[in-house]
Amino acid sequence: MSYKVTEEGNISTVHLDGEIDMDVTEKAKEIIMPLIEAKKEVHLNLKEVQYMDSSGISVLIESHQKATELGTKVILKEISKSVLKVIMMAKLEQILNLD
Amino acid sequence: MNVAIKSIKEQRDFVVSSSSLKQVRSFSREVFEKVNIDQDLKDELVLAIAEAAQNIVKHAYQGEDTDDKMEIKISLEKGHLEIGFFDKGRPVEEKNVRHRKIDDIKPGGLGTFFIQQIMDAVVFKEGEKPWINHLVLTKNLNS
Repeated sequence: MSYKVTEEGNISTVHLDGEIDMDVTEKAKEIIMPLIEAKKEVHLNLKEVQYMDSSGISVLIESHQKATELGTKVILKEISKSVLKVIMMAKLEQILNLD
Repeated sequence: MNVAIKSIKEQRDFVVSSSSLKQVRSFSREVFEKVNIDQDLKDELVLAIAEAAQNIVKHAYQGEDTDDKMEIKISLEKGHLEIGFFDKGRPVEEKNVRHRKIDDIKPGGLGTFFIQQIMDAVVFKEGEKPWINHLVLTKNLNS
């Protein structure tokens, strides 16, 4: 997994790239959580994520819950087909913020 | 569904580590490339296999570093797919396996939930020596 973060005002956009599994979830959290803790609105661009498993979905859930707790939000952008399928399999499309 | 190839038997060993999960997916993709089923189903089967392998790393070994290997066997006979997972970690008791409830949005338990959604049957067995755990996932690809 590789990533790029861009900032615009109070919005931080994290572009994730590659496959997100248990081996990279800690790295993903290290990127995303400090932005949420800084009360940024975080946009996760998932266009280039070709594979995500339950560990990756757990990162999305934890990010969403942390953001809600701190009064900000995480929005999932340009979700790739394979990631959307896993989100729907987890029945989270009504819970996470999908754009 | 015409699964084209009538018989497949492949197995591979992997070090029990989260860093092996990518190789587990590559192995599974290689095997399913030989089967004439649609890409969505192939992706689902790869996910189910990777989730089961991840459960071995996470639960049977509780994320500990080890040189132990796990073995994955994929066999297809007349459209009946059977995937076996063998490991030497802590014994897994089926009653202790956490199943995610449909309205539960807590992280955790999702991997098992995915496996159950994708496969027809999930059976935990006691492994024959030298194995401790033997998990069997099955799916009829003819339906």
